[in-house]
Amino acid sequence: MIKKLKNLCKIACGSLLRHKLRSVLTILGITVGITVVIVVLSAGQAIEDFITGQVNQFGTDWIQVEVKVPSAGKTSLENVGGLAQGVTITTLKLSDAEEIKEHPNVRDYYAGNVSQEIISYEAQNKLTMIFGVTAGFIDIDPSELIQGRFYTEAEDKGLDKVAVLGFGIKDVLFGQRDAIGENVKINKQNYEVIGVMEEKGSAGMFSMDDVVYIPARTMQKRILGIDYITFIFNRIYDTSIARQTADDITLIMRDLHNITDPNRDDFHATSAQEALEMLDTVTGSIQILLLAIALISLVVGGVGIMNVMYVSVAERTFEIGLRKALGAKYNNILNQFLTEAVIITFIGGIVGIILGIILTWLISFVATNYLGFDWQFYFSIQYILLAAGMSVLVGLVSGLYPARQAASLDPMVALRKE
Amino acid sequence: MAKEKKLIKLIDICKQYENEEVVTKVLYDINLEVNKGEFVAIMGPSGSGKSTLMHIMGFLDKPTSGTYYYKGKKVSDFDEDKLADIRNEEVGFVFQTFNLLQRTSVYDNVNLPLTYSDKKIGDQDVIQAIKSVGLYHRKDNLSNQLSGGEKQRVAIARALVNRPEIIFADEPTGNLDSQSGKQIMEILQDLNEKGNTIILVTHEKYTAEHARRIVSIIDGKIVDDYQVKKRLIAKDEKYLTK
Repeated sequence: MIKKLKNLCKIACGSLLRHKLRSVLTILGITVGITVVIVVLSAGQAIEDFITGQVNQFGTDWIQVEVKVPSAGKTSLENVGGLAQGVTITTLKLSDAEEIKEHPNVRDYYAGNVSQEIISYEAQNKLTMIFGVTAGFIDIDPSELIQGRFYTEAEDKGLDKVAVLGFGIKDVLFGQRDAIGENVKINKQNYEVIGVMEEKGSAGMFSMDDVVYIPARTMQKRILGIDYITFIFNRIYDTSIARQTADDITLIMRDLHNITDPNRDDFHATSAQEALEMLDTVTGSIQILLLAIALISLVVGGVGIMNVMYVSVAERTFEIGLRKALGAKYNNILNQFLTEAVIITFIGGIVGIILGIILTWLISFVATNYLGFDWQFYFSIQYILLAAGMSVLVGLVSGLYPARQAASLDPMVALRKE
Repeated sequence: MAKEKKLIKLIDICKQYENEEVVTKVLYDINLEVNKGEFVAIMGPSGSGKSTLMHIMGFLDKPTSGTYYYKGKKVSDFDEDKLADIRNEEVGFVFQTFNLLQRTSVYDNVNLPLTYSDKKIGDQDVIQAIKSVGLYHRKDNLSNQLSGGEKQRVAIARALVNRPEIIFADEPTGNLDSQSGKQIMEILQDLNEKGNTIILVTHEKYTAEHARRIVSIIDGKIVDDYQVKKRLIAKDEKYLTK
């Protein structure tokens, strides 16, 4: 058995070495396919980890209420598209947040708006994200202050012009200098800096340190000139009844907004679990899509092998005839050609795995160090096994038909081909 | 002299090739018996069907009709694997065009049948087969580095290596000069002396007369079958009266 296997490998390697360039090019086809598979699997996992990590930062004990375009699905492009095209939902109010707070499972909340404004200090100007949120933010969000304090509910209600700077904004405007007590200009109005947040890093392409926090009502009245908000973030006590609580909040909101037809909802309440499930669906779909692309490249590689194997069978018809004349059986010839195909794909697979690991690491390195993503290098032994298994499978599948053609040759007909 | 025993028996063997609507008859009602230890030359002009007959007897081709008994068993009852086993272990082939694997060493060419054999034959037997045709010094050379005579000797070593009962030689001297041809016939005669059954196909009377029996075939029919009275002995290069 071992002797026969050794012989098969010897014959196959001999044949591949006789056509080095052709073998290398065929191997390359599979290498590309396997590299893509490895990169896609690793990237897919990294994306999932990244997104889940972003959600998990906020824990699982929350329910978020957001504005929604009526008649639009909560995750549909219609909603996003509608909001992006300037459809403004003005019905969500801070008073809604107060009412929701009365639910026995709702512990506390913060609510408000997000806007982009220019913030300046002396000669420094920076277009930045302004979070106009209620004072409860600092108790709920995992962020901590490294200097000063967060504003109070009284300051929010009093429309006080106070600001808490993100770590990055403080660095841009003040450098090493102390910012507490200084006045920065937002929308041409002076705001007193009362606190500085700790360094938080990035959420995707967006730096969470380039943010300024001001009271929700101050933002509404003094900057945006509106009386509505766009989100309410509720922290809950019991996560086991989060879904029920979200349903209750939906009913409360419908009551507050006089909505009888659920299709006319101008808000949506999402629990952490629901958000994670939705993200799982999205990341799962992305992974399947990416994997499908990777598989297409593998199929292309497989077709390349099939092509080369057919050429090889045609070229070696005489050799096949001779082997059969000297006693080779159908299975001997079949195995010989299958071994060649599998050796090609196996080598391609090994090289592809190595290249895939290197590429994955490079992507992670570039994304983390140059693009601001928190993209972990992710790799698993399962990927190696999967890629190796897939490469061998491609070899077997693509080599099978040419090998069968070779094995079925009549020895006399084949011998006359010399 | 080897013990007489029936190896091959052909009864009314016919062969025809069909190409689209054209039917070409090659062999007509061939009846032939070959015993163990015989040296039979099948002689006939080009296109007479002698090679086709050899291919049928050598399990490389199948007759259109008729019955072929090998060691008393009907060959038509054998499946493809059984036929492959017989070709591998009981039969050796020497072809006019040598049919060696190109860019492959003498050793590997001779070793080729063993790749598919379950017989316990090792490296020493391969070396022995190469030595028996006087090519030990060339065992590592590639087949394309050999002369025609040497190539045919490699083919004979390959035919011998699995210790077959019958050696089929199809015009083995056809592509060789007279000296190389003489060497090949000498080897075949030696093998026959050692007990191998030899079936030789040739169009040359001179080559056929190295055999003990000549079967003449013309237009697909056996026209003569006789024992050679004055057999040519390649070693002595003189006629001996039998």
